[in-house]
Amino acid sequence: MIAIAGPNLPHQLLHAAGRHGGALPLTPDRDCPRAGQWLESKFQPWAPRVLEHWLDGDYDHFDAVMFSRADDSSQRLYYYLCEMQRAGQVGGPEPLVFDVAKIPRQSSLVHVAEKLRALADQLSVDESALEAAIRQGNAASDTSAPVGTGPTCLVTGSPMPDARLLEAVEQGGFVPVGQTLEQSWLATAPVEEGTGDPVAALARALHEQDSGPRSFAEPSGRLRRQIAESAARAVIVWHIEEDEVRTWQLPSLRAVLQQSGLPHLVLSRRDWLAGDGAAIEIAAFLEGVSA
Amino acid sequence: MSASANQRSRKALACTQRATAFQREFGKELRRRVVEDREPYAIVQADTPHELFHAMDIPIITNQWWSAYISAKQLSTRYFDAMVAKGYPANSCKYCSLGLACTLADEPETAPWGGLPKPTVMVARLTCDCIQQVFGQWSQALGSEFFPMEAPAWTDKDPQWFANSRSEWERVYQPDRIQHMVREMADLIALLENRTGRTFDEAKFHHLMEQINVQEGYIWEAAQAIGDARPCPVSIAEQMPNTMIPQWHRGSDWAVAHAKEFRDEVMGLIASGHGASSNEKLRLMWIGAGVWHDPGFYQALEETLGAVFVWSMYMPFAGPAYIRDLKDKPMEALASRIASMNETLHLPPWMNSWMVSEAQRCGIDAAVVLLPPDNRLSQSGTKATTASLRAAGVPVLMIDADMVDAKVWDHDRMVGMVDSFLREEGLA
Repeated sequence: MIAIAGPNLPHQLLHAAGRHGGALPLTPDRDCPRAGQWLESKFQPWAPRVLEHWLDGDYDHFDAVMFSRADDSSQRLYYYLCEMQRAGQVGGPEPLVFDVAKIPRQSSLVHVAEKLRALADQLSVDESALEAAIRQGNAASDTSAPVGTGPTCLVTGSPMPDARLLEAVEQGGFVPVGQTLEQSWLATAPVEEGTGDPVAALARALHEQDSGPRSFAEPSGRLRRQIAESAARAVIVWHIEEDEVRTWQLPSLRAVLQQSGLPHLVLSRRDWLAGDGAAIEIAAFLEGVSA
Repeated sequence: MSASANQRSRKALACTQRATAFQREFGKELRRRVVEDREPYAIVQADTPHELFHAMDIPIITNQWWSAYISAKQLSTRYFDAMVAKGYPANSCKYCSLGLACTLADEPETAPWGGLPKPTVMVARLTCDCIQQVFGQWSQALGSEFFPMEAPAWTDKDPQWFANSRSEWERVYQPDRIQHMVREMADLIALLENRTGRTFDEAKFHHLMEQINVQEGYIWEAAQAIGDARPCPVSIAEQMPNTMIPQWHRGSDWAVAHAKEFRDEVMGLIASGHGASSNEKLRLMWIGAGVWHDPGFYQALEETLGAVFVWSMYMPFAGPAYIRDLKDKPMEALASRIASMNETLHLPPWMNSWMVSEAQRCGIDAAVVLLPPDNRLSQSGTKATTASLRAAGVPVLMIDADMVDAKVWDHDRMVGMVDSFLREEGLA
């Protein structure tokens, strides 16, 4: 089985091969005493957790782990793991990288299609199997849809390690809408069906998918869409210290929030594990909104 | 910023002054073309195909050069503070964003050249997550067009890349990566021709690529000689400008001639037994970008401890990164150069394998690694390289500092750290 660790990956192709191993499991709160010897401070916090699990042999049951070139921590961890395996410092599954290209230009789209065709050959996936997997994927429900009734609160920004911030929203009397790291890795974009060339269709979907650090989608437009789709009555923007992408988007996101007139809370440069009192701040914010 | 920062470095080579004088004049000429004559020009990252612009005689401002220019005028703190005042978090990546900060600050009275006019295009290779944000926003602020370039995955990893890059570049740099970059460069040429009315002359480009081989050959020859020489004739404070300034103008008649003059002067110093320090005892390696705001840092321990920085990446990189057997495929050869510059300097196995090899070639006693706290790209590969160097018997000091942001650099403290490290390792 092939586990995945990164955004914008070809899930449908892995499913078609019967080899999708799900998102690489990790324990956010675990200590990482050895990973710090290899990974520098600006890696996303999930990366040292993954390396620590890897060193412990927790992933040995996977044949391979697929990383993504559309996320810097993901692609760098791929190179680091390859080197550590070459030097005999770690065993475990084979690291792979999917070379997804996101620049809105024909040459990048062609590149994605070429990489998909190579992967399909490698996994012995034919067009009919891929088409079937695409149909199944399109039919699957959106994991970020609100669950429950009541006013919704959109939590957006850096992918959350787990549901801890969403639970804080729930305790504040709102239905949370937001994405965990695992959900962000497993997120798929709708793929056009029945084109006769499912590889090309999947390439277009991956190339245009508007989530992930390398997306060229305009961030303020994306936030407006998220607000509309979730019918949010309140918005929390949460960016972690290590987030090198969304930090650049903060001024434009603030402008969208101001224009929306919605109550909002911006939490910038925060602790990934929310050990900095984020849940308390969310509770206080939502209490004010409710009042 | 420490009061002792911006210490000047001592210069032994006459050609160093000629290089800096040329660059000063070039700066004036560039300013005239870009600001006064309003010629079409481009803002580009260092790891983009400058050769295309040179072949079309389109002026370029390299982001890293512009950052260093702003930094050298002691303006980095002012502009980064202005960016924070506009709502950007203070921990944003510093190395690539100083130019954006200067534009956003919108202070013609303080900005070099009064600030940059609208460029025709801005070009960056997407080697990290934040550069597309920086260049995207910068191009918007300047009303320009952003031409991003992919940094494709490199799965065929040759740890001995530096030994094979000249003649086996098609294999070493992976054919599909080369092909992709060739496609992108064709798109870029088309854009430039469309926007500027200038035409891309293939014969001129081919000649330029040949001249770059000659130029970098001189630099590489000098780098080999410096590695072998005892004492080291030229500190990295002089290696850097004599490599980098001609490299900004690579392939030009001046650049080729200057590289030759530099090589000849280095050889002359070696022949006369001249040392950068009068009592060289320790040979140090500097891993990271240059600390442009404090060039005197590198020579601070030469006389007291005999500790000489003999190696930084800029000069020895000339050989494996630039020189290519063209094989009548200059565009592909250029693609192999551009598609690998950043990766070989920041990712294992290329970075660590090369630096261990270089440490052994140059008889390095200890290495100092720059670990910028807010720059993942510059941090990248440093711990793997540190581990590889230590495994090879080279002691390593890692220092947290930013090469552009003078606010977090204290000359005396940094020199003291190196001093203490060398003593603790029993080297001094």
